[in-house]
Amino acid sequence: MRKRPIATNDPHIQALARIVGEQAILYRKEDLMAYDCDGFTVHRHLPRAVVFPNSTEQVATIVKYCHEHDLPFLARGAGTGLSGGAIPLNGEVVISLTRMKRLLHVDLENRRAVVEPGFVNLKLTNSVAHRGYYYAPDPSSQYCCTIGGNVAENAGGAHCLKYGVTTNHILGLEVVLPNGEVIEIGGNGVPDPPGYDLLGLLTGSEGTLGIVTKITVRLLKNPEAKQTVLAYFDEVEDASQTVSDIISAGIVPAALEMMDQTAIEAVEAAAFPVGHPKDIAALLLIEVDGISAGIDEQINDILTICRRHHVREVKVAQSEEERARWWANRKTGFGAMGAISPDYLVQDGVIPRSRLPEVLREIADISRKYGLRIANIFHAGDGNLHPLVLFDASKPGETERALAAGSECLKACAAVGGSITGEHGVGIEKKEEMRFIFTDEEILAQTAIRDVFNPKNLLNAGKLFPTPGRCVETKQASSTVK
Amino acid sequence: MMSTMANERADSPACATASLGNYRFGDLPDPSKWADCVHCGMCLESCPTYEQTGEEQHSPRGRVHLMKSVGEGKLDLTPDLLDPIFTCLDCRACTTACPADVDVGGLIEQVRGQLRQAVPLAGWKALVSGLFLKGIFPHPSRLDWLGRLLKLYQKSGLQTVARKTGLLRVMPDHLAEMEAILPSVGTPVRRKYKHQPLIKAKGETKRTVAILTGCVMDVMFSDINEATIRVLTHNGNDVVIVPNQTCCGALHVHAGDRETGRKLAKQNIEAFQDVDHVIVNAAGCGCMLKEYPELFRNDPEWHEKAEQFAAKVEDVSKFLHDTGFKPPKAELNVRLTYHDACHLAHGQGIRQEPRALIESIPGVEMVAMPNADRCCGSAGIYNLTHPDMAQAVLESKMQHVPQDVELISMGNPGCMLQMALGVMKHGRNQKIVHTVQLLDWAYQKEEGKDVRI
Repeated sequence: MRKRPIATNDPHIQALARIVGEQAILYRKEDLMAYDCDGFTVHRHLPRAVVFPNSTEQVATIVKYCHEHDLPFLARGAGTGLSGGAIPLNGEVVISLTRMKRLLHVDLENRRAVVEPGFVNLKLTNSVAHRGYYYAPDPSSQYCCTIGGNVAENAGGAHCLKYGVTTNHILGLEVVLPNGEVIEIGGNGVPDPPGYDLLGLLTGSEGTLGIVTKITVRLLKNPEAKQTVLAYFDEVEDASQTVSDIISAGIVPAALEMMDQTAIEAVEAAAFPVGHPKDIAALLLIEVDGISAGIDEQINDILTICRRHHVREVKVAQSEEERARWWANRKTGFGAMGAISPDYLVQDGVIPRSRLPEVLREIADISRKYGLRIANIFHAGDGNLHPLVLFDASKPGETERALAAGSECLKACAAVGGSITGEHGVGIEKKEEMRFIFTDEEILAQTAIRDVFNPKNLLNAGKLFPTPGRCVETKQASSTVK
Repeated sequence: MMSTMANERADSPACATASLGNYRFGDLPDPSKWADCVHCGMCLESCPTYEQTGEEQHSPRGRVHLMKSVGEGKLDLTPDLLDPIFTCLDCRACTTACPADVDVGGLIEQVRGQLRQAVPLAGWKALVSGLFLKGIFPHPSRLDWLGRLLKLYQKSGLQTVARKTGLLRVMPDHLAEMEAILPSVGTPVRRKYKHQPLIKAKGETKRTVAILTGCVMDVMFSDINEATIRVLTHNGNDVVIVPNQTCCGALHVHAGDRETGRKLAKQNIEAFQDVDHVIVNAAGCGCMLKEYPELFRNDPEWHEKAEQFAAKVEDVSKFLHDTGFKPPKAELNVRLTYHDACHLAHGQGIRQEPRALIESIPGVEMVAMPNADRCCGSAGIYNLTHPDMAQAVLESKMQHVPQDVELISMGNPGCMLQMALGVMKHGRNQKIVHTVQLLDWAYQKEEGKDVRI
């Protein structure tokens, strides 16, 4: 592309450019500004530089350099994370893995594939679909998010209700440790390797323990049959009760999604409308899959449960095209908020399914209290809420109000015995809210683990755990929640 | 010095507000366009320049973020901003991918207008750009002369000499390559029909339509204009060639010269005042004509005229499809594939109509092209201004073009040149055709003529 000779006196940038080449480093403000946030736009900070390594060796050399020179650094994939995990809060050197995007190996006999971290999630399924396989974790951003990022955040998705989140599909990792050492964990296919479960520890560590450079994932055989149901409800309560009853009837849907009225307004105003009625209170998108025998029976049971709870209209997708349209409408839901609001903040609370109606009522109260609209699009089947707080950052004070409203939503989730994050990670966004569910001792125990891997705390510092400075003032808050 | 400039501009009537963050020239970018973007990233994979670089500032989301940052006063209109803003192909694929319909292309064009005034072109770039964009494209007679020169070059044997002696090697590679795929120049329809302002429909006249002859189109691809006229008249349309029409201005608007864009727009709006249909066979031009209202956001009078004009504009494939074209009866017996021109698919939402035209021809076997609506890298004169990126984008496109076809069909002249280059570089033996040429071919065969493409 356009030649970019290095024109800076910063010796670190010159040194990094020698590692990756001058076509693989950014350091001018006009370029760096595009890296001042990820999918979480509330906090922003310019990185020192962005480098684009093309091999594990280059990643290791960069990391070694940063380690030796005490330069803060972090890894970034597609930058679609929703909790700020890739925001260079401390002026980090951003190690962008978007050029390490190869599918290295497909081994269908053993149902696994090896990818580089920058490989896009959906591309994996697209690469093996014609042979009857797929990669199960399907975050809504799967069109563009990378598997490396999925590992860092332990990403979930609509179909994780039945198939589990990213960690259930990772078989092996190659990791560059914060001192530049390269290690391999798992990968040999042993289901329960001896020793500590390091794969489980690394997956979801939000880029604080190491940088993943190679990933072995599990592939699944396409289900023999698949049916999708769309149900419209006049009362949120009825929709919530339907969710509860479907699960307690012993059905395990592949996906069980809910959208409320504000969310429906957004997706219908956006690029992939389905024609949902605007006056319904909630809709459910339910999918069952598996062997053909028994699918129709499950669908009948689901339809019966919907009707028992006063569903206004319920239909089964008649074609793959119709099903795809329903899913595109759902999966682009967050971005669709742009059609009705300049900014949004998405929360990621988890609650026991049985508490759905009361927590949704509470979120509605929070919305009224802060004078901000809150849309709900979420994985109802596993109680993973996504309240989307709509606001306008250009209006003074509104960002702060949105943050406070979001935090209060999480407090409500924690108060009914739930959690503050289901799949988006803690990042910057929810680190203070970690106190809603952990005591100081529990947090210290976890940062002690981080210190083993990342003793200088140069890698992605200031994420995932609250800063010690605020321990005292929030100690009381956490104990009252408990 | 800048503040004086801002004050001067603020007095100009085309300027609604004096400035917006660090945007300080008239015709300010529309902040509601970036307000629609919530930074979700769904556009990333749709972007050809992001695919090549993996760099956020070369992605739609990143560019919107930068353009918004200037509007918020966090960035200035500096030379370092040229790269992210001008490396965009303006292919609009991101607009198709975006859940919130963010008009990235429109925003890019507005910001280029600002950036070009803050950082004017200098040196030979300014000379070449001024010569072509201002000196030649807007002037049909000069274009005509250029065409005659080109024809002389091709027919006199000079081309053969230049190619054999290696004279072309003094040109940069990408220009020499372009020379190699130049179509042979015919007679522009504007000249040919100069004394015949109306070409009668075959049989009963159902309606009268005007065609945009285009600037480069009529010089390089007059045969496509001829085919367009024949296909339109075959389907009951009287065709008029209004004399005062000019270049659509897309190249100017893409380059940030919105002032010339507006001048050309006004001339076209007036030239086509008395016709009901303006039929276009170049996707890029059609998209520009439909977007004339964007150029007059601060000028209510011309904005209304532009709206009325835009409503009359239609791409030839959609027009034929929607007005019930006659399916050809003769068989062509050919295997082909179809490439979606960006400004047809993403810019105008026209995807099915051209395919329906092609598939109506007996004996045509259509082979689907994966990612058919991925940019080929032509993008107006992008392949001349950004040859390396254009080449990389073309390379990626060629990976998806089926091998086992004889023809590659599309609806935009820029794409035709670029794809011809791709075919040549890959040593393939495939011909590039415009969709109306296929119909024309079938109709002619139907009439018993022995024609080949």
